Amino acid sequence: MVFIAMAAGFILILIGFYGALTNRNLLRMIVSFTLADTGVHIVLVAVGALPGRTAPILDASVPVAEAVTRIVDPVPQALVLTAIVIGLGVTTLMLAYAYRLFAQKGTLDIAKFTELKW
Amino acid sequence: MVSAIYPLAAALASAFLLGLLHERQRAPAYAITLGVLGFMTLTAASWVWGFAQTGQAGFEIYTAGVAPPFAISLRLGLAEASLMLLINLTGLLSAIHLQAPLLAHGRRAMAVLLIAVMALGGLVMTRDLFNLFVFIELIVIATGGLVLLSDDPRAVVAGFKYLIISQLVTVFLLIGIIFAYHGTGTLNIDGMAMTTMGLASGGALAFFLMFIAVVIETKPFPANGWALDIYESAHPAFAAIFSAASAAAALFAVDKLLLIGGSDWLPIATGIGILSFVGANLLALPQTNDRRLLGYSSIAQTGLVLVVLGQRDLLGDHTLYVAGGLLLANAVAKAGLFWLSDLIPKREPAAWAALRHHPLALFAFATLLALLVGLPPFPSFYAKWDLVHPLADAGRLWLLGLILFGTLLEAGYLFRWFGYSLKREAPALTGSLVSPRFGVVLVAVAAAWLLALLWGELSVHDNLLLAVPLAFALAFLALDWLPARVKNALAITGLVAYFALTYTDYDPLRMIFAVIFLLGSALTMLAGFDVQGRRPGFYPSVMLMLAGLIMLIRATDSFAFFAAWEVLTIGSYFLILRGKRSEPHALSYLLFSFGGALAMLAGFALAAQGAPSIELVALAQVAESVAPWVFLLLAIGFMTKTAAIGLHIWLPGAHAEAELDVSPMVSGILLKAGLYGLMVLLLAMGTQRLAGVDLVDLLLWIGALTAFLGNLMAIFQEDAKRLLAYSSIGQMGYAIFGLALMNHLGWLMALMFVINHYIYKSMLFLAVGGVARRTGTRQMFLMGGLITLMPLSFIAVMIGIIAMSGVPPLSGFGGRWIFYNAILATDARLPIALIFLSGPIAFLYLFRLIHTIFLGQLKDEHRQVKEAPFWILLPQMIYVAILIVAALVPGLLLRHVDQYLTEFFPFGALNWEGLRITSDFGYWNPVAIMLTIGVIFMLLLSWLLFVNRRAQKVKQFNIVFSAERPYRPETTHFAWNFFAPYRKAMGFLVQPLVTRFWDLITQTLHGIGEMTRRIYNGNAQTYAFHLIGFVVVVFLLGPGGTA
Repeated sequence: MVFIAMAAGFILILIGFYGALTNRNLLRMIVSFTLADTGVHIVLVAVGALPGRTAPILDASVPVAEAVTRIVDPVPQALVLTAIVIGLGVTTLMLAYAYRLFAQKGTLDIAKFTELKW
Repeated sequence: MVSAIYPLAAALASAFLLGLLHERQRAPAYAITLGVLGFMTLTAASWVWGFAQTGQAGFEIYTAGVAPPFAISLRLGLAEASLMLLINLTGLLSAIHLQAPLLAHGRRAMAVLLIAVMALGGLVMTRDLFNLFVFIELIVIATGGLVLLSDDPRAVVAGFKYLIISQLVTVFLLIGIIFAYHGTGTLNIDGMAMTTMGLASGGALAFFLMFIAVVIETKPFPANGWALDIYESAHPAFAAIFSAASAAAALFAVDKLLLIGGSDWLPIATGIGILSFVGANLLALPQTNDRRLLGYSSIAQTGLVLVVLGQRDLLGDHTLYVAGGLLLANAVAKAGLFWLSDLIPKREPAAWAALRHHPLALFAFATLLALLVGLPPFPSFYAKWDLVHPLADAGRLWLLGLILFGTLLEAGYLFRWFGYSLKREAPALTGSLVSPRFGVVLVAVAAAWLLALLWGELSVHDNLLLAVPLAFALAFLALDWLPARVKNALAITGLVAYFALTYTDYDPLRMIFAVIFLLGSALTMLAGFDVQGRRPGFYPSVMLMLAGLIMLIRATDSFAFFAAWEVLTIGSYFLILRGKRSEPHALSYLLFSFGGALAMLAGFALAAQGAPSIELVALAQVAESVAPWVFLLLAIGFMTKTAAIGLHIWLPGAHAEAELDVSPMVSGILLKAGLYGLMVLLLAMGTQRLAGVDLVDLLLWIGALTAFLGNLMAIFQEDAKRLLAYSSIGQMGYAIFGLALMNHLGWLMALMFVINHYIYKSMLFLAVGGVARRTGTRQMFLMGGLITLMPLSFIAVMIGIIAMSGVPPLSGFGGRWIFYNAILATDARLPIALIFLSGPIAFLYLFRLIHTIFLGQLKDEHRQVKEAPFWILLPQMIYVAILIVAALVPGLLLRHVDQYLTEFFPFGALNWEGLRITSDFGYWNPVAIMLTIGVIFMLLLSWLLFVNRRAQKVKQFNIVFSAERPYRPETTHFAWNFFAPYRKAMGFLVQPLVTRFWDLITQTLHGIGEMTRRIYNGNAQTYAFHLIGFVVVVFLLGPGGTA
């Protein structure tokens, strides 16, 4: 199960990279990056996963004393939450940029925005 | 000490609080922003002060009250505190600079700026990997926002490119972090460094991903097109943050990661760094946009710091001093230059001429460039010296060579730029200098000088800023508002007083140079009284050059010597650049001198064998394996200054285009620095053999060829000052030849040349300069018949060429006499033949000075010409007097030198008895010769007067010319292309082959830069490909790939 998640995560990352590098449309690029981000998140969770254990939430069903043996590693879970939030921020910013770029030239083709070079 | 949490918390909290203000309350919002940034800056300053005062080691701060790995920890030490100060101060000053756009965009922009500064500081302090990621992302988002403050619509594209790249970085970084965590069970950097991570297979890859992600934040060449676009299009105040603060924080993060990776990864850091340093400098050569140029330079400098971090295994604890010096120098210089660029109306570098009419702005520009290039006394100078020495010792010569090559490239485009600022057409500035926007630039300038003082204090060498001559020279910067005559008097007094105070310090050899450098220059500077007005910038430059010269002969170790060398180079560069058309010549002078200086640096570093510097006398004990190389490198360095053939192409332009009273200084005085260096070198190291070739023999050949070709080129000049300049090349060839003879008389002759050349070249340049001033041209064929109008100048030239050509009775003859004696004692026949041949050639060109300028027919337009000004003539007449005294009693100074030389060359000393000087081959009695010549001259003169007493005077246009009336005097005065037949016969020898060679080199470098920079085609996806390609290549070459 962990292996499948891990593999899926990496495949998503690769698809994301492929999409971002081959699509010239700004929005498609942004979507590709969110795919890659999602892949990263899956990998993150998969690394922390321990088969047969439960979520790292300490409540009635998981008493503190038994936590160490019963829950999965909580650190990657915490990390992935942060990563998701940050990913959202960056994606939003990119979309805002795409909007500004479209307003400038009326196109979403990345290859049209090459005034800055050399 | 204020806790490290407060500044971070203050920035975060106020960024949120700004949101509570009303959208229209912009002034209070701006005040809060500045207040918080000010608080952060002060806190960081108090930390730096605290650490520096107490010498306390750094400490950890545990954020949640628990130790890592269960909580995030920050570290605060001297390095962190200094970087925080840099970052916060840059943020504060940029915020001041950004006043208008921030007020226009309102509180949101201010909040973003606060977050950016906070995150950069966090990146520096954090010891937690995931926290590192968070801060990097905060920087990314904040950067994405701040880029949009620019008025340039293209900035939007640049920001988007940056976001694309940072998405890739995020993926690498997160994957790396999570697997590193998986392997070690901790996110704490120090904890991870201790476990050495199951770095076996997966661990190495995990580390590689983290490492490369952070390295990309340092904008390494060639995966950095996005960064260049930001530099070019962003608001300059943000570019300042991006260059100074972001790069510093990223470099520090790389350094932290290297702690985990260990020594295996140091070569990778070095490799990426050196590629960036050389690559970015090369690509900067053809840049036509000033901010993009600064961007390239910024990338190069960051690369250099990365090299230093990669050399931690050699530098050890000294890494902080070296890396810090380079990093702070670059940060301060870049921030200042980016801020300054906002006052420039256009984006091509030549538009910086706008600064020309504002001395303070020009001073700021010069300071920041010097700081960037690493000239003394700035920190990067100490840092480079301390970097190069261990490299040479450890045999990392390739790296050393590349660093020096990159440095030369950098000096090339930066000083070319400085030349523009003085010489190109000046547009108006886009703002007032009495504004906060310029105020922040001045803060950077002040920081530059403070850092210079600090790094000097911290160094193991002497603090250059505290050296008396240099301080005296720099004081003239503050006195620049005084009238030129007052400054001239001050300068002359200072030179004479310094000589009076120190003359007991010099041995006879150094005494000769001290007399020329101090008293000789004071004498030449009398001509400076001729200048009315303030003459802005002249005195700091000339005093800088003289300070360098005097520090050179007072130096006892290699560091002081090298520092003096650079000081005199930079001073003379500013001086030469003052000439009207001297822009390209000053640049070529600087590049040759700077290149030579770098060769010297390498030579000294090789010689020191790991020590921080080497005593000059200890050059004699350099290990045999490196000694010939040391000799070669140092000799090349010195010969760039004496303009030995092959390295001479800068001299004619530089000397000829310089101002009237500058030409005698750079010719008569400055050229001696190279000879002094060669003397020190030859005395210490003697003869060296490399690959079976005796290097001193090589020197002999170079001297002979230089003398021959220099003189030959001189005879074909039409420009009087160029003629004198070429003749200097030839004269220096003689001196090198004399030294390379390595016998007593050869050296005596060289020293005599040192004195004589100073006197007659100063005199001739002043005389010819005076004539050029009055006639308005330097072309000799446009002159003629000036003997009656400028009799005193005529006398000076007459005496000068008699002395120089070496005919009796003047001192030149003494030089010749010693010279002939010297070569009789050697058996290098072929070079001797060349040297003999150059003697008559010298007659040819010297004759032209008299014939073409003073004799022949007066030109119509010169009928009203007056004698040269008094202050120009005065030194000439004093030189005439000195020449005659020196001719009568040459022993005055020479016999002491002769005696002194016996220490080194015991055989062949002259015998000074009464008025007679005896050598192994004959004797010379100057007084008798003077009398003989005098009597013959008087006899001939009286005979001439006697036979001519009935001659009838014929006016210029009297019809005596075969019944043809000369309407134009030119037709009766053959002057142009005077030696046409010789040109026909020997012209092939003076083809500008050397010039073509060096042109080809510069063109090739430009071509490579021009071609390579096409990889940055502007497309964001291409940049992403570059990045991925870069990552793959680094991985394959790195320890991860080979394991």
